Amino acid sequence: MPVSSQLLKPVKRSFIVFTFIVALTLALIPWGPMVRAFLPDFVALTLLYWCMNQPRHVGVGWAFWLAMLLDIADGNVFGQHGLAYCATSWFVLGRHRQLGMFPLWQQALYVAPLLLANQLIMLLVRMATGSGFPGWSYFVGTLSGALLWPLLSQLLQAPQRVDKPAEIQS
Amino acid sequence: MQATTQPVFFKQGPKPFSLLLIYASLSLTLLVVDVRWQILQPVRETVSVALYPLQWLATAPISAAQQVGDYFVSQTALQRENRKLQDDKLLASSELMRLQALRQENTQLRALLSTRAAHQGKGTLTEVLYNDRDPFTAKLVVDRGESSGVRLGQVVIDPQGVVGQVTRLQPLTAEVTLVSNKGHTVPVQVVRNGVRAVLYGLGPENPLEVHWMPLNADIRSDDVLVTSGIDGTYPPGLPVARVKRVDRNAGSAFARISCEPAADIDKHRFLLILDERRDQPARPVEQAAKPARRGAHKEPA
Repeated sequence: MPVSSQLLKPVKRSFIVFTFIVALTLALIPWGPMVRAFLPDFVALTLLYWCMNQPRHVGVGWAFWLAMLLDIADGNVFGQHGLAYCATSWFVLGRHRQLGMFPLWQQALYVAPLLLANQLIMLLVRMATGSGFPGWSYFVGTLSGALLWPLLSQLLQAPQRVDKPAEIQS
Repeated sequence: MQATTQPVFFKQGPKPFSLLLIYASLSLTLLVVDVRWQILQPVRETVSVALYPLQWLATAPISAAQQVGDYFVSQTALQRENRKLQDDKLLASSELMRLQALRQENTQLRALLSTRAAHQGKGTLTEVLYNDRDPFTAKLVVDRGESSGVRLGQVVIDPQGVVGQVTRLQPLTAEVTLVSNKGHTVPVQVVRNGVRAVLYGLGPENPLEVHWMPLNADIRSDDVLVTSGIDGTYPPGLPVARVKRVDRNAGSAFARISCEPAADIDKHRFLLILDERRDQPARPVEQAAKPARRGAHKEPA
């Protein structure tokens, strides 16, 4: 079922902030190195979701400041996440009307290369600043992120859905 | 142009692409500044303080779960751990005791090493294997024998003085007769005045005695006796004994002088076998008959 076919309530700004806080917290959990390789980039996923569905609320600016927070939390060089997030969020913003009409699995197919682009940009930045190649397992997160996309979309959309009795009324 | 004609409803702020340009260039600037000059550390620190609650939130469930897990550690696990710790402690204490013994041994060895250096590095370090089983004799068996180049009559010393003399050789071991063995004699000299004497051993557990000294001999208690070297076996100058008591009894012709050995003859584990070959005048041999006879036999053949 395409997402756009549903009638949705307007989103609350506080909910957007809340989801970002949850995503940041998930990113900050000290997973073991094995788990971390399979984990998607939660912040990037949430960001892409909001850019796609609420482009008037969340844009490149959000991407930049969230990326700053992540850089500080991870102790990376400033701007590593920033470049990647700004680029991908801009890409989604430009096509949000088109993307919003796709079914979720198709959106996932679209999101996967964006996540990969995220990883690639960050990899480029790190290698340009003198870090070594972290191994191919670095890209596994892209795949799991794409797989997680439909679930995440459903979850983030849940508060906006109209309740059943209300649906009958309308 | 277009922007001014747009209705207010469509105004969405700056276009995403210009925003992208602004923020991407900002990111790049920050990147370069951070990598090149490292001047953003204060910013990092300030913002990380703001991030601390999130970090706490992320780690709190895990540490809480660990704490709960710790609380419910089973009793068997505790007992097992306790037993293991006790075993470890026993093991460690035995190790410690061995360490103390080793330390003692090490100081002994170092002392011997310096003694050996004093004898121009000539000498064989040896370890005492056991005391001789015969309780009437004062002898030791050491772990160097003929195969290590030990010869009969070599002098055995410890850092303090003479211990004895090699008296029997086996391929891998040697028997050392201590100076206190009954009938063992050492030619000595009083350091103070050079009086020569002979020191007799009287058997284990008994003091050494200087015999055959006249009543008026100039020997006092606390005199140090060193080897005189006139016998050709003991190199001169090694401390042997210290005079403990001098009894001048008018009823006997000689003074009774008891001494105690300078070396700890029954305490050490490591000893030094001195290797000082001393050239002595050749023993006179009956040369007259033998070569003549051999020559006579060979001539006709």
